[in-house]
Amino acid sequence: MITVTGLKKRFDRNAPAALDDVSFSVKEGEIYGLLGHNGAGKSTALGILLGMVYPDSGEVMIGDKSVQREREAALRQVGAIFEAPSFYEYLSGWQNLKVLTSFSGGVDHETMMETVEWVGLGKRIKHRVGTYSHGMRQRLALAQALLPRPKVLILDEPTDGLDPEGIVEFRESLFELRKDFGLTVLLSSHLLGEVEQVCDRVAIIKGGRKVYEGGTRGLVSEGQLYRLETHPPEDLVKAREIASTLSITSGGEDDLFSLPGDLDSSDFLGALVSGGVRVRQFVRMESTLEDLYLSVSHQPASQD
Amino acid sequence: MMLFFKQLGWELFRMFARKRTYIGFGVFLAVELLIYVLLTLDRSERGMEKWIERVAGGFEHYFSALTLGFLIVSFTMLILGAVFVALVTGDIVAKETEDGNLRLLLARPVSRFRLLAIKFLACQIYALGLFWFVGLTAFGVGLLERGWGGGMFVWTPEMPRISIFEWNEGLARYFLAITAFVIAYLPITGIAFALSCLKIKPAAATIVTIAYILADWILSKIPLPIFEDYQHWFITPKMQSWALLMYQDIPWPRVLESWAWLIGFGATGFVIGWVIFERRDVKS
Repeated sequence: MITVTGLKKRFDRNAPAALDDVSFSVKEGEIYGLLGHNGAGKSTALGILLGMVYPDSGEVMIGDKSVQREREAALRQVGAIFEAPSFYEYLSGWQNLKVLTSFSGGVDHETMMETVEWVGLGKRIKHRVGTYSHGMRQRLALAQALLPRPKVLILDEPTDGLDPEGIVEFRESLFELRKDFGLTVLLSSHLLGEVEQVCDRVAIIKGGRKVYEGGTRGLVSEGQLYRLETHPPEDLVKAREIASTLSITSGGEDDLFSLPGDLDSSDFLGALVSGGVRVRQFVRMESTLEDLYLSVSHQPASQD
Repeated sequence: MMLFFKQLGWELFRMFARKRTYIGFGVFLAVELLIYVLLTLDRSERGMEKWIERVAGGFEHYFSALTLGFLIVSFTMLILGAVFVALVTGDIVAKETEDGNLRLLLARPVSRFRLLAIKFLACQIYALGLFWFVGLTAFGVGLLERGWGGGMFVWTPEMPRISIFEWNEGLARYFLAITAFVIAYLPITGIAFALSCLKIKPAAATIVTIAYILADWILSKIPLPIFEDYQHWFITPKMQSWALLMYQDIPWPRVLESWAWLIGFGATGFVIGWVIFERRDVKS
């Protein structure tokens, strides 16, 4: 649904590149996360996706339309939410929606009402935005992004500033949106937990370059790291000796064991028991997105 | 085309829903009332009476609601009109960029040209609204003081001689001149709009515009031979074209020439603003 190819952008000749040859693609119906610390280049990438920032080279396709060559046609399929969305404070939520949707060709009253009810702003929509809480503004931002019905939702730090309840609510909204409207979602965030819980796949951006792209769910099940607890604890020494005969390496700590991909954990456990090690616990350690993020953040950036 | 006007309608709605849009209207009204009080002071009225009697005769006939309204308009419009038109136009893009509203608009399937055209046109409509408000209220003040009917006595420093009209023609000339202020002020909207499209604070766009217009006006007034060769570079003399419509016989070739310059200047401001904005990266 979204194909980003070779994006390069430098805002200032003397500054480092904001984006350096970034490519990724988002499949239809997928929730895809752009992860990176502040200033990594996520917002620049989203700016290019929305035709607000001109890339030095590269192209973004939304469906079969190029944002750079057919911006309006491409953006007809897109709804967007920005970090700390700014509305016209002196207008009501409803009037803001009318002003904004007029630039998308207008939306009928019924669809607007449905959307307003869907985001849970029904009672306050006729009130001035200046009186809205941050959470209500975020709901209004979601409403404007959903009008008129887009195929793609682009979210820039969508939960920034929301309270924990608001974050959970927003997360649930995203899943509902995918289920109810079949939306493809691309979001940027520096909140690892958020991305891990919401996204099917992520790209990690560091210093303007993509340093990782892959699944988040696959990631947590790919771990081959086990924590062993013995009784008495001194049996760990014996366990290490057995492990070394099976080419099992240390997981960084005394009680962690990193198994090679071709070794089944039950074989290691069997070897331990037959070697006289009294096993109290043998737990598979799940590698989190945070582990991955930290590991790639410390690696030099490389292309794709 | 219908969609364009619908979008323009919402832009105007947004503009007129904002309290600061009305500052100009309020200030004009206050200044008009002040000028009215000053003009109707015994001493001022006696001075006017002597003058009108000397050059036109029939003070009671010619010191009408139209004459009083015209005096109020010509005193207030030059500086105040420039300030408020520059204020609103200088805000139109820069303020929205500063507030972040523009990003929500640009995420929509609308071209930057269309967006700017809507905003520029909204500024012209605001200016027309402001000038008609000033014209109508000044006329209203005149009606309160002098009542309906009579003649019209007109003089501005730019006019070589006074003009006198009967009521109906005076009324038509008065509102024609009020409307023509929109064309006269196109350089102001053009400069303020072009500046507003830069990465600039809204107040800076307004201040630079006013500074340019004042500098142009001052330089065009310096009675030195050296400036005579450069008179065609000054735009403020052409902005006085509205006063040409109050001449006894309207010098249409001069009016049209001035309007061509003014429209050209305003359009150039819009095009410069558009080119700047079209090339800009809009980012938080």
